[in-house]
Amino acid sequence: MKAAQVIMETGTKAAALAVKSARVDVVPGYPITPQTSIMEAIAAMVENGELNARFIPVEGEHSVLAAAVAASATGARVFTATSANGLLYMHEVLHMASGGRLPVVMCNVNRGIFAPWTLWADHQDSFAQRDTGWIQYHCSSNQEVFNTILQAFRVAEQINIPVMVNFDGFAISHCLMPLTIPPQEDIDRFLPPHEPEWRLDPAHPSSFSNVTMAAEYAPFRQMLSDDIMASIPLVKQAAQEYQDITGMWDGDTIDTYRLEDAEVVAFAVNSMAAELRLSVDILREQGVKAGLLRPRLYLPFPTEDIIDALPQNAQVMVLDRNYNFGHPGGILASELKSVLYGRRNDITVKNRVIGIGGIDLTRRFMADEIRAMMDE
Amino acid sequence: MLELRINGFGGQGSVTLAHLLAQAALENGEQGQALPFFGVERRGAPVRAAVRMSPTTIHAHSQCDLPDYVVVMSEKLTEAAVGEGITEFGTVIINAPQATAVAKHPTWHVDADTIAREAGLFSADGPFINIPLFGAVCRVLNIPHNIMEQTILNKWPGNSGARNLGAAGKAYQTVTQISV
Repeated sequence: MKAAQVIMETGTKAAALAVKSARVDVVPGYPITPQTSIMEAIAAMVENGELNARFIPVEGEHSVLAAAVAASATGARVFTATSANGLLYMHEVLHMASGGRLPVVMCNVNRGIFAPWTLWADHQDSFAQRDTGWIQYHCSSNQEVFNTILQAFRVAEQINIPVMVNFDGFAISHCLMPLTIPPQEDIDRFLPPHEPEWRLDPAHPSSFSNVTMAAEYAPFRQMLSDDIMASIPLVKQAAQEYQDITGMWDGDTIDTYRLEDAEVVAFAVNSMAAELRLSVDILREQGVKAGLLRPRLYLPFPTEDIIDALPQNAQVMVLDRNYNFGHPGGILASELKSVLYGRRNDITVKNRVIGIGGIDLTRRFMADEIRAMMDE
Repeated sequence: MLELRINGFGGQGSVTLAHLLAQAALENGEQGQALPFFGVERRGAPVRAAVRMSPTTIHAHSQCDLPDYVVVMSEKLTEAAVGEGITEFGTVIINAPQATAVAKHPTWHVDADTIAREAGLFSADGPFINIPLFGAVCRVLNIPHNIMEQTILNKWPGNSGARNLGAAGKAYQTVTQISV
């Protein structure tokens, strides 16, 4: 058996190497910071023959996703990537991909939204796509980006729903870290070739996405809603089997740290949730029974796993790197409160918006924030 | 976990220095992380990069606001670099023709400009000081000489690697502690 290889790579290169490992067929692309180096790496791999795929440069993100949708409808395995306003420009076609039940996998490298311009990370861009019918993962390390892209293709192709794999601009995308690449035969065992039940094929002409009457439209939308919920066991199974084959584990729908006996629970996504492990250690040294719950899956929201994991009478400190405009605080807090209501009335939820536009979130700063929230 | 921040000017090769140090950590059997701060860079503007080394998985993803080591790529930046934050008894490594020790902080000195020029490592924009600084920082961090050399050869196999080895090796030998 071949051994896994450990190299030093950035988060964007980790994403590109996962695309290569997934034997992707088609990659439409358009540059936007901080995603651009994913597309540069993939274009180079296609050019030098490392990746046997078609790279399609197009004139904007709306067309990127239109090309991805069309390629996916022919049965190809399709990947693309974007950030911030690029993702917003795709918004209409995001609905086409999910409604069309096309298993595209896309990385969104989280970046704050214009205006005013910012280059650095917050989570307004991905959370703003909540209602587009995509499954959404949020990753907290370079290795998790690599692992999750492979898991995302598996889940997407099993249930015919597109998957967005999110991770922070710069803090992950341009951070050089050790990356373990499992042997290709192990990855091939985990992710077999894409065999769609249906595809557009000139040899067998058919039409796709016709006008439907309400009697057809409504059940189709219901099926999409039901299948998004039904993806949760597939997400868990993918994480488990990936661990069985590669030995690597990033959590399944959620990831936890020192949670079992916690009285104060930090709740956040992406790279700040990795740093929060260190904040939890600081708080524990100060005598606070702290723990961490990180939703790895944002959509579908892992309701049952969160409800099962939260210790009795815990204070949950939700640290949102986004705004829920029209409400005080952020989107994650709102989501969490809605699933706890009537089911876990022992839990107190407190919320702060921090780290907007890439404001640096250190372990000491977040530990201090959580201590301050305890007194509120 | 060891934390180090590089403070320099745009064009001095701070990103490559951060990458080399993170790679040396992996070569040395540890975990390494290089996290440069990217923004609206211009040649000559102040830049910074974070480097971490640890025997266990690194979970930190912030810029190093309170590092154990500060690497000052130019002595013009010493006050600003230390002022940005360093642990109480953190170590400062300064590139200068002649360096003055930083009060209360163990200070090391290396003349990376001269070493780079003597090794022929320069362009019209100036000397490639990140190569000798890599050697000097490895010495200060007690990273073995052969690990330092292997990291350079992995990045630049062949002749350019050999020239880099000479400059990095000279800095490894000549970096001097000027205060404790």
